[in-house]
Amino acid sequence: MSISEKIIGQLRDIVGKEHVLTSDLERFGYSYDSSPVELSSSNKPDLVVRPRTTEEVSRVMKIAFEHAIPVTPRGASSGRSGGSIPLHGGIALTLDRMTDILELDKKNMMVTCEAGVRTKDLYDYCAKEGLFYPPDPASWAYSLIGGNVAENAGGMRAVKYGVTANYVMGLEVVMADGAIIHTGGKSIKNVTGYNLTQLIVGSEGTLGIVTKAILRLIPMPAKRGVMQVFFRSLDDGCAAVHDMLQQNIVPSVAELIDDVSLEAIVRQKKTPFDPEAKACLILEVDGPNEASLKQQSDAISKVVADHQAVSFRVAQTQAEADELWAIRRGLSSAVAAMAPNRLGEDISVPRNAFPEAVRRLKEVSRRNGLPIAVFGHAGDGNLHPSVLCDLSNPAEEKLAHHVVGEIFDVALAVGGTLSGEHGIGITKRPYLVKALGEAGVAALKSIKQALDPKGILNPGKIW
Amino acid sequence: MNKSQEKLDAARTLVSQCDRCGNCLTVCPLFGSKDLEASSARGKNTILRAMADGVLEPTPEVRAALDFCILCQRCVATCPAKVRTDEAMILARQYLADNAGGPTLKYRFVGSVMRRPLMIRMGALALAVARKLGLNSLAPYGAAPDEYTRTHFLATFSGPGALGTATPPSNVAVHKNSRVAYFKGCGMQILFPEAAAQTMEVLGRVTKPVTRDNVCCGLPHLAHAMEKDFLEMAKENIRQFEDVDVVVSDCASCSGTLKHVGAYFAGDSEWKDRAAAFSAKIMDLTEYLSKSGYVPRQKSGAKITYHDPCHLVRGQGIKKEPRALLAAAGEYTEMKDADMCCGGGGSFFMDYPEISDSVIDKKRKNIEATGADIVVTGCPGCLIQLNKAAKASGKFKALHISQVL
Repeated sequence: MSISEKIIGQLRDIVGKEHVLTSDLERFGYSYDSSPVELSSSNKPDLVVRPRTTEEVSRVMKIAFEHAIPVTPRGASSGRSGGSIPLHGGIALTLDRMTDILELDKKNMMVTCEAGVRTKDLYDYCAKEGLFYPPDPASWAYSLIGGNVAENAGGMRAVKYGVTANYVMGLEVVMADGAIIHTGGKSIKNVTGYNLTQLIVGSEGTLGIVTKAILRLIPMPAKRGVMQVFFRSLDDGCAAVHDMLQQNIVPSVAELIDDVSLEAIVRQKKTPFDPEAKACLILEVDGPNEASLKQQSDAISKVVADHQAVSFRVAQTQAEADELWAIRRGLSSAVAAMAPNRLGEDISVPRNAFPEAVRRLKEVSRRNGLPIAVFGHAGDGNLHPSVLCDLSNPAEEKLAHHVVGEIFDVALAVGGTLSGEHGIGITKRPYLVKALGEAGVAALKSIKQALDPKGILNPGKIW
Repeated sequence: MNKSQEKLDAARTLVSQCDRCGNCLTVCPLFGSKDLEASSARGKNTILRAMADGVLEPTPEVRAALDFCILCQRCVATCPAKVRTDEAMILARQYLADNAGGPTLKYRFVGSVMRRPLMIRMGALALAVARKLGLNSLAPYGAAPDEYTRTHFLATFSGPGALGTATPPSNVAVHKNSRVAYFKGCGMQILFPEAAAQTMEVLGRVTKPVTRDNVCCGLPHLAHAMEKDFLEMAKENIRQFEDVDVVVSDCASCSGTLKHVGAYFAGDSEWKDRAAAFSAKIMDLTEYLSKSGYVPRQKSGAKITYHDPCHLVRGQGIKKEPRALLAAAGEYTEMKDADMCCGGGGSFFMDYPEISDSVIDKKRKNIEATGADIVVTGCPGCLIQLNKAAKASGKFKALHISQVL
């Protein structure tokens, strides 16, 4: 579609001339995200509009609603499922200028911020006051809170502390017609009306545009310790994590890395691991003091020994701990560097099905002859299988997409689901009915119809 | 396949490793100043990839976007896949120049001036005269900075309290047979002749440095799609320094470039070995001084902070040497984000003055926060920028490292 000069003029009056981008190349910059969706000039928005305030977002939406212009909200475009790609053109609405942290309410232990605050900046801000915002997606250094809320981002600490949804107390949302609503609030108990807060969390920008969030905080653990354990097999690693949880040793992080992913790290770091090591577990524990850390790491060392660990190392310095974190945070990109293309998935299964899911994934890989690297959050059952392939080869492209389908079949067969933290976006749309059933999808669509009758909010996503 | 297409393919291969995660958004100095996607490393890598895949046409707008990279490598350092954005940009610029009518006129002019040693000497002379007459401040973009000399530095920090203890003479025996040459960089010769003279003096304390009638290192040519000129000049420099063991440079960009000459001739059977031998003997000034156990001429009471030139800290992995030397020369203090680019980037500061100014302004604040009297660096390009910051601030001075050692 094309947007008339008159409307462009109105939008410029609202957000300022320099915050409406119209040039071909500038618009191209807002046509992709961090998913494997191929670059295409047809994904360019007709306009990029960059509001600074909720009021501006509201006024932009009023115009979009009046003229039925599609609007795709965008944060840092770090999403992995195509959620912020303006599939139907229209307006790419960036929230990255809304960067204010508005209030840190220490007594209620809550922080209120705008959608464009970087997750790690928010974490650091709260940490200075001894408060802890736990959700930590691997992208936290650059991803924005608005995107985290819209995708219900998870992260490594989910095993102990949960995901973004568990910390959202209230939201300011601009609706399709430009109305501004406030959901939830600072009251811990709240059954006044439907729980719109949790409906908006994870709705991928299809129901409304999140402009502000009230987020719950907890006291910052005084001490943290990081450990690295190598196992002879992924099964051993999974079993060790389950034993820990059953013995009430709850690590704040339990990240499992398979042999293919280990090879990716070796290629990047150029330092080999023990050849016996076929799986790696990165663990973090936290507690009020060193003694508590020691107690947990001692207990963990006993559990991993029961599962034939090849080696067990506790990071002795902050630098060592930072290095272990850097390995895990950079893992998906390291794996991506192993092949021309990577189709990274995000299935989530019941915790006890983790080893079975991995076994089946390896079988899928063997049967189809395409490598699949697996790493993920062993503590919460969220796996990231990555199909390594060359999409420029048409036969391999077809095969790779077939393999992705089989990955989803594995997830559903063991009682799991399509996405743990990346969202459905564009890439997982074809599998939605399999996961939710026709009636389930119809229920989602009726909610969408009620809140966005003209279908202008992030069209083409989820189904 | 033609050579130009090979360049595009090589660039395409480099950026194909980018999975658009966004890590670089937090460190790119240009995205930090102009927060539009196309100005980030991710944005430029994706533009390049789209152009190579035929999704985008190589329009002047695309060309301008790929020119808008300062080649500071900060993104490379933070990238989980270590995507060489700087190399990819250089390759793409060469491809575009070959296919869209050569480098722009401005760069062709600068490139041809810098190929001639005589022109460099005349430039130096002209600036010296202009400084005497106070006319240098009329040059746009601060391109003809004031020079704060070692004499000024000593006069300010040589009071009884500030002088500190005299350092003992260097006890390192320089090998009799080790022949050391000083590479005369254009930026140092034209803009900071006093600092260049100090480098010779510093070198003279540990060896007997010789100089040659060398030509420009060729980085400006490489960065702006004049690879042919670069290769010709490299050959000339290889010839000139064939009879020495060590070539020392006091310019991070020169040493960084010269260390790469070998790689550029890897496929040239005639020049391969000579080029590799040449690159192997290049040393940055601080690298050479710390290897030869240099002890600074004085321990001053001045509070000194250090700015990492991109081409030294990331280009050559040299980080500890200048700091150790400075700690022996004064009261050393580290600034925040010392390795963040100053916004100079060769001629970048003239091409994009507003962005460049906003980048150096962040640097100025970080320098001021240390309370340092002096900010020191090892690159004339950075020194132009730091000079501007010093002028704007009034709280500190900017010097080349050889002036305080």
